[in-house]
Amino acid sequence: MKWISRKDRAREVDRAGWGRTAGAAIASFIYFFPVLVIIITAFKKHTDALAVPAKLFPDFMGWLVPERLTFTPTLENFVSVFSRSFTTGGAAQDTGFDLFFFNSIFIAGSSVLLALAIGTLAAFGFSRYPLKGNDTYLFVILTTRMLPAIVVIIPVMLMFRITGLAGTYTGIILLYTAFNLPFTIWMMKSFFDELSPDVEDAARIDGSSDRGVFFKICMPQVVAGLAATAVFGLILTWNEFLFALLLTGVDTRTVPVAMSQTIGGDIGVRWGLLAAIETLFLIPVILVTFFLQNQLLRGVTFGTVKR
Amino acid sequence: MNRTSKLLTTLVVAGGMGLSFSAPSYAEEITLRMAVPDWPPTRIMKKLFDENYEAKSGNSVNLEFDFIPWPDYYTRLNASLTSGEQKYNMAVSDSQWLGAFIEGGYYRKLNDLIDADPELKTILDGMHQAPLQAYGTYPYKSENIYGFPQMPDILITYARTDVLCEASEQAAFMAKYSTKLPCTPEELDQMDWTMYGNIGEFFQRKKGDMLAGEPATDDFYGIAYQAGKGYDFSSMQINGFTWQHGAGIWDETNIPNAQAEGVVNSDLAVVALDRYLSLLKYMPPVVKTGSMDIFKTDELFREGKIAMNVQWIGFAESAINPETSKVANDVAFASMPGLRKADGRIDRSSNIGGQPFVIMTWTEGQEIIEAVDFVKWWLSSDIQHQFAAAGGQSAIKAVYNDPKYVTYRPWNRTWASGLEWQRDVWHIPQFFELLVQQQEQFDLAITGKQDAKTTLGNIASFQQRLLEDAGLIQ
Amino acid sequence: MNTTTAAHSSAGKLLAFRWDNWRLALLATLIGVPLSAFVLPNFAAVVATCILGGLLVITSVVYSWTRHVGGLLVAPAIAVLVVMNIFPLLWSLGLSFYNYRADRQSLSFIGLRNYERLLSDPVVWERLTTTATLVVLTVAVQMVVGFLFALLFSKQFPLRRYLLILVLTPMMLSYVAVGAFFRYYYDPTFGLVSQVVNMFTDEPFVLISSTGGAIAAIVIADAWMWAPFVMLLVLAGLVSVPKHLYEAASIDRVPAWRRFWSITFPYVKGLLMLALLFRTIEAFKLFDVVFILTDGGQSTETIALYVYRQAIQFNKTSYSASLSYILLFTVIVLTNLYLYLANRRTKEG
Repeated sequence: MKWISRKDRAREVDRAGWGRTAGAAIASFIYFFPVLVIIITAFKKHTDALAVPAKLFPDFMGWLVPERLTFTPTLENFVSVFSRSFTTGGAAQDTGFDLFFFNSIFIAGSSVLLALAIGTLAAFGFSRYPLKGNDTYLFVILTTRMLPAIVVIIPVMLMFRITGLAGTYTGIILLYTAFNLPFTIWMMKSFFDELSPDVEDAARIDGSSDRGVFFKICMPQVVAGLAATAVFGLILTWNEFLFALLLTGVDTRTVPVAMSQTIGGDIGVRWGLLAAIETLFLIPVILVTFFLQNQLLRGVTFGTVKR
Repeated sequence: MNRTSKLLTTLVVAGGMGLSFSAPSYAEEITLRMAVPDWPPTRIMKKLFDENYEAKSGNSVNLEFDFIPWPDYYTRLNASLTSGEQKYNMAVSDSQWLGAFIEGGYYRKLNDLIDADPELKTILDGMHQAPLQAYGTYPYKSENIYGFPQMPDILITYARTDVLCEASEQAAFMAKYSTKLPCTPEELDQMDWTMYGNIGEFFQRKKGDMLAGEPATDDFYGIAYQAGKGYDFSSMQINGFTWQHGAGIWDETNIPNAQAEGVVNSDLAVVALDRYLSLLKYMPPVVKTGSMDIFKTDELFREGKIAMNVQWIGFAESAINPETSKVANDVAFASMPGLRKADGRIDRSSNIGGQPFVIMTWTEGQEIIEAVDFVKWWLSSDIQHQFAAAGGQSAIKAVYNDPKYVTYRPWNRTWASGLEWQRDVWHIPQFFELLVQQQEQFDLAITGKQDAKTTLGNIASFQQRLLEDAGLIQ
Repeated sequence: MNTTTAAHSSAGKLLAFRWDNWRLALLATLIGVPLSAFVLPNFAAVVATCILGGLLVITSVVYSWTRHVGGLLVAPAIAVLVVMNIFPLLWSLGLSFYNYRADRQSLSFIGLRNYERLLSDPVVWERLTTTATLVVLTVAVQMVVGFLFALLFSKQFPLRRYLLILVLTPMMLSYVAVGAFFRYYYDPTFGLVSQVVNMFTDEPFVLISSTGGAIAAIVIADAWMWAPFVMLLVLAGLVSVPKHLYEAASIDRVPAWRRFWSITFPYVKGLLMLALLFRTIEAFKLFDVVFILTDGGQSTETIALYVYRQAIQFNKTSYSASLSYILLFTVIVLTNLYLYLANRRTKEG
């Protein structure tokens, strides 16, 4: 495959120096600031969270800023995520968040992988063996993403009740898979469309089977696409709320649903607790994105969306 | 075709695996599932249940609490009921939802059970009428019982004693208004809306102005009450004003003769709404956004930005907890202010809050027996006392009239007298449509885009049309 | 072949009972599912739906097995989509012709009455206008900000991968946290925005006190959250522009903007379109941010929030279903317009 590597070299990204780093750092920091405030809040006691002027600095930075802008960091909130007292003076109990975190990871992970497997096959099909009315199929697939979820809730709940899927992992995973499929198919198809058919034809002439072409020739070239699609799918699924609220049970509840218990009970918002849950909840998805980043940015041209 | 049929088999098997069946249950084990909002009153209930409950029948009763966060509680309960999944045997419900879910055939009428059970009847007879009617009856104030109080709730005044009782503020207030700035709970009990307004006018300090003998570290305001667009976060306060001024809301106890047009927008009702709106100018600037709901006023109070707040009792615990409140040691609790009538008496009519719990129509056989036993256990004197001691409230007269009751929490002193003034908003199935339109209109008035007369005119004509279409006005 | 015979033969093909006649199965599903939803009791309706859906899948597979390998590759995806997405869609399409309310048992067929009512309701048009305003603003801001960030990150520089993660984080947050914290940032008493403004004006800053302010608040929060999505897609296009093209251009002293227009832009156009498409579709469903920040106050109630009220709060199931079909229709028209424009450009280019 000599020419692929040549092409790769041709696509090597331009380099820029530390000047660009400085500019990007400033822009990124400003953009990241609202998230940073959430993370900082996770380390604050409740009475520090809303202080005016805002206490944005931990006290070990006290030599840098006036004292009234500092707070004493605490890990209390992170402990409370997993175990806290729900009533004044009551004993701390398990909040179930360890399970909710597991559920979120398991459900989002499975459905993204499943959608990738099914969706990549379909995308390859759509790209290489266009059906009659191929574009119509693709378009119909896209329309399933257009309705507000709230409208399809009643039939979905009905279906889940009758099939016994309500409150099970299978149910919510299948639903999220369907939820991810349109995007996966459209993304992956545009990757496949961009591959040069010459190599495949050459391989076929050399006696490769269809399967061989798919796994040995095409897949390695769309790894970046797979990574990008996985990240997008994960992000969309990770924070899905409505279906999770209505279709998970006590045992399969996900973090976004459980998270809102920190809001609107007897005390408005439990700022520190909400921030701590969100901070912990960010870690897995940031890690995945970080590790897939190289693939993500390897650079592949997409074709125009066709209709 | 061979390959095809293999594929089909695979598909069918894969589909079949999706089906899962619930585990068989044992005869002597009864599981009741209950949907509850996630907050202290229900958490206390679970705690008491786990520690104390033993079914009289000798069965092993397992009560599964599904704690659902408050903001999404209605969405979840509504979807669960209307989709027919019949997942819950019992639920904690807002009283306003009764009509919709009773007409839908989800909440079970309880009269037959009450008639068959003298013990339960005695308990209900010993209950204050206001919460019983608000939480249990449909149509409102009829004989049909559908629910029992889980956590009754009323609006009361929270006040900062460190600011109100401070000598220089006392003197300045006396000089300006020739009357004493209320400071003790007893003095605060005597507060009417005029006084509340005066306090609002008096405490408008910019950052750096003197406040209670020290320069204020931030802008400070005297008063607040709910004025938000969300859910019922202005209606609950405005209804009180309306009733106190002798005006009314559409009267659902008098269907089909009661009118909306001419009642909801009567001259007195306009005066009442104007009165409510007139105090907003003394409140923190967030009131202009239409998002000063019960949570925001609560936050403002606990952060020490206001001297007084009218708030549900259910929030009081967090106001005196030093971990969540900056003013924990300086809070006094008193009755909600009211309108002083010509004879000097204060009318404190107010909208009741709180939630009943209900039993679903598909709860049958041994389940219903156990559910009723649980209700009786919950409403028994001993458990109600334990609930109150942990921070809850009771609607049972013998419990709240017990001298011990006021010692549980500082705000309990307002409870017995407060209950006398409670009334409730509509319970009909169209409740949410009425509420959303009304909140929208009130929001326009609160954010200064529309006057009281136009607002109430719009509300009245909308309600008249909707209720006529529904056949509730003829 | 003239048109008459074509029509005749396709009608004949359509009605033939054969295992590979997926068109008939599709027709039967389209008609059968909404019909069975109401004629039959719930359980039977779902069974009927499963049978029809199954038939559709089987016929499609058989049809494609003999003709295209592609059909088979596509089948699993189609199956999942039919069961989980298309079936509920059709169900609610069926519902939209009835006067069904989820909290009542009564039911009667009222044909297009819901649609008539909707299209003559000024409130619906108001909500659509609000939604359109928000969609245009938020998508425009997302595209611009996303594009600028993509340009910034299109070159390799030290610490790039770490800084990139910072920019990507907003879209990984959950709406609960974003809503709560943006309410806090905008709050006149506690909020950070107000505190900053306060340093200059000495007055608390109340952003959400007018329609303009409220729209700005919503657009900022939503665009902040989703601009990274656009950035990531555009970036994938930008880094793939072959370097030699730039080298050639710099030798020829092509001005920067022309270099951008004739070299860079063609490479990112497809992705830009995809981003635009998906963000527009999502923006039409804008709900959470509005619900938390204003609850529709200050004339910011979007059509999605309106649908939520009708569907969940008022339980007007049928009415809300027809409402969403109007929405769906609008989005489909828009999407087609996009795709048409995109393809025309490609052909020109």
